[in-house]
Amino acid sequence: MSNGLKIVWAAAVALIAGVILGVTMFEKADPARAGARAASNERIIMITHGQAADPYWNIVRNGAEEAAKQVGVELDYRAPETFDMIRMAELITSAANQKPAGIIVSIPDASALSAPIRGAVQSGIPLVSINSGTDVAAELGSMIHVGQDEYQTGKKVGERLRTEGARKVLCVNHEVGNTALDARCKGVEDGFGAAVAVLPTSTDYQEVRSKIAAALSGDSSIDAIVTLNASQVGEPAVEAARESGRAIRVATFDLSPGFLEALQRGEASFAVDPQAWLQGYLGTVLLANRIRYGVMPANPLIETGPRFVTQADAGKVLSLSKRAIR
Amino acid sequence: MLQLARRPELGAIGGLFVVTIFFAATADASMFTAAGVMNVLSPAAQLGILAVGAGLLMVAGEFDLSIGSMVAFAGLVFAATLVVWGAPLPIAILLTFAFAISAGMLNAQIVLKTGLPSFIVTLASLFILRGLTLVGLKWATEGSTQLRGVREAVGDSWMLELFSGDAFAGLFAPGIPVEVLWFVAVAALGAFVLARTRFGNWTLAAGGDANAARNSGVPVADVKAILFVATACCAALVAILTVLDAGSTDARRGFQKEFEAIIAAVIGGCLLTGGFGSIVGAFFGSIIFGMVVIGLTYTDIDQDWYQVFLGGMLMMAVLFNNYVRKQATGERS
Amino acid sequence: MSNIPLLEARDVARNFGSVVSLSGVSLKLFSGEVHCLLGDNGAGKSTLIKILSGVHRPSRGELLVDGEPVSFASPRDALDRGIATVFQDLAMIPLMSVMRNFFLGREPIRRLGPVSLFDSKYAERVTRDEMEKMGIRIRDPHQAVGTLSGGERQCIAIARAVHFGARVLILDEPTSALGVTQTELVLKCIKEVRSRGLGVIFITHNVRHALAVGDRFTVLDRGRTLECRTRDDIGLDELQDLMSGGRLPATA
Repeated sequence: MSNGLKIVWAAAVALIAGVILGVTMFEKADPARAGARAASNERIIMITHGQAADPYWNIVRNGAEEAAKQVGVELDYRAPETFDMIRMAELITSAANQKPAGIIVSIPDASALSAPIRGAVQSGIPLVSINSGTDVAAELGSMIHVGQDEYQTGKKVGERLRTEGARKVLCVNHEVGNTALDARCKGVEDGFGAAVAVLPTSTDYQEVRSKIAAALSGDSSIDAIVTLNASQVGEPAVEAARESGRAIRVATFDLSPGFLEALQRGEASFAVDPQAWLQGYLGTVLLANRIRYGVMPANPLIETGPRFVTQADAGKVLSLSKRAIR
Repeated sequence: MLQLARRPELGAIGGLFVVTIFFAATADASMFTAAGVMNVLSPAAQLGILAVGAGLLMVAGEFDLSIGSMVAFAGLVFAATLVVWGAPLPIAILLTFAFAISAGMLNAQIVLKTGLPSFIVTLASLFILRGLTLVGLKWATEGSTQLRGVREAVGDSWMLELFSGDAFAGLFAPGIPVEVLWFVAVAALGAFVLARTRFGNWTLAAGGDANAARNSGVPVADVKAILFVATACCAALVAILTVLDAGSTDARRGFQKEFEAIIAAVIGGCLLTGGFGSIVGAFFGSIIFGMVVIGLTYTDIDQDWYQVFLGGMLMMAVLFNNYVRKQATGERS
Repeated sequence: MSNIPLLEARDVARNFGSVVSLSGVSLKLFSGEVHCLLGDNGAGKSTLIKILSGVHRPSRGELLVDGEPVSFASPRDALDRGIATVFQDLAMIPLMSVMRNFFLGREPIRRLGPVSLFDSKYAERVTRDEMEKMGIRIRDPHQAVGTLSGGERQCIAIARAVHFGARVLILDEPTSALGVTQTELVLKCIKEVRSRGLGVIFITHNVRHALAVGDRFTVLDRGRTLECRTRDDIGLDELQDLMSGGRLPATA
């Protein structure tokens, strides 16, 4: 390597080292963690099917961690790297082996997860479930289920589109094979009452926009688009709809600052707030109280959604969305 | 002693040692109980079976990027045969392997007849098989991407013991999951074939220099075809084991497992360009992988660091294996 | 020394379409002799060896083995008749061990039911013995061929051909890429092979190497045999002259 290159490399490394040192010196220790570790026999492990990078699950996780901080328990969040039921089952087994005070799970595939969940319950660990698995939760031994049924929510979305007068709906699925997402589009179709075209995409912004634009120009009868994720799919959908020049209603599951701004401007119709924050928050709070005092609501199901957000309330929700709370 | 430093599996064994010490220091004690060990060996076993196939094929100088999708597709065939058709377990297993053999052979023939890099051909198969899985699932379930009800469909078949559940449960507490036993058996078979049989010599030759091998009378095309089929069968085996265990299948099974299998093989000392490697190494590489994946959840380390760990481990393994290989083959750096 | 040549080419010609590669080459190889085949680039040396080793068939002329006319259907055919060719790439695989390379394609087997096991003990022993007989000591038959020098690799290729029953050994430019010590090693092996009664055709464009071992010298020029001389009959300068297309001054 030439001397010039070596100097550039050394300078870059020095810069990075300096920044890291500077940042860490000014970082305060997280008081919640320290406090929680003191009561370390109150450890809750949460295993969901939502990847760490997924904005929706980030909200769930934030809700759970806020609750843990407020109540004073330790929370560990685990999830497989992709939608992987086999891996998720292994993670649940791993959690159960460590004998925590409590476990929170989501149940996107009751069959694959039943053995480890039942095993955890049978070994005496209190278990609650959130998000998916409304119909199977109690049977598997979950003490309470805090969530929304994806299919039911989809149905309500479809019904609302019908009453708003939409004629043909395009449902954009950005992770085909994720059963929770697939159920949403299926629900939309059944709720809408007519055939709904499903457009598979990835979460790449440009790709989504191009694909939706292509779908719109290929079929001029489409007048409504439903996306399953606000930030990565809903926002490019709004752009594609605007560029097409047609009057198209855009609705999405979940929230994002960008989409809420579009709502404010009138470029989108409504968003479904699954109140994912509540799933993480309530799940943690309820479990923590069960661990400490043995109390638990008698109702086996708390439905956290859907709550429709329209142009009217978009402004209020916007600042919370920026903090990944709604 | 010097001979030991040239063995391709040295990197993997050393890596396993290092990783074990790391987790012994940082992980919850429950990781090293019988239940914890089996928990770690589960993903290791599933990945390991794939890694044996991928490793042998890599030594022969080819890649099969479609094995992850093959797991999903085989899972669809298997589950649909049981649930939708209502066939008995032995028929379902036979049919699943038949599909795997055909797909493997198809991959092989396209690669061998056209001379295209197997990387590209099997990349195309990756998408085709994944797409067919999705289409097939929606047909089998009338709209859903998840097919359930496998346990009920199988009922009480005599073959169930072979492919599901825990063995030796009488001897000690949780028993050994059957997939771990399959993993050991497949790895032992793969290692034996590569190191001790004539076919193994042919495999090394085909990967080391296909032309020289052909000129010496080695049936290079047949060797590669057999290995493509073997790899697809490994995927089918993993599909059968996991579908029976989960009682269901979905469109995302095996997603990105082809890369994980290649990683395990590379950690085990298999050279990406072929002609050098060890299945014993791939065996240990898979175990390292399982330890990192599940082992991290026994520690206090934030799970977000998983990918950093994985990449770091791969980097170190590759560097070390590179050194070992240069020692072994006398390359001047 | 028998009078019937092991291998003979009589007025062999070969063309590829309209390109004439050889227009009349004759060569006689006797047992226990090293016959050097010389010529500048493009003289037709490679086409000739391809014909002798069965890769191509001659367009005109004939080949004789032990005095009998033959026609090789394939390189395998030539090999079966004991004509082994060591090409420049050696057909050696650097990543594999010496013994695995030695028995490549002809692996010794022990049967375990339907499975053919590679008999490493036998392979190890024979590889070591054959190399010793050739005068090369291999420390460890398990070491990769890549760890050996160019000269050692050539000798292994030669020993391999001899072990598997070659009667004629055709060596295509074995010393062209080698240094002085390595060349010595290869020449030593060639002499050993000659002493066992095989016939060796040694293709080279290095006149010094040729003179070091050759008994007979055939110079090709533009597809034709220019001259064929025996050892006592020619010297260094004349050979070099011939190679570059000049003519011998008339022996006055």
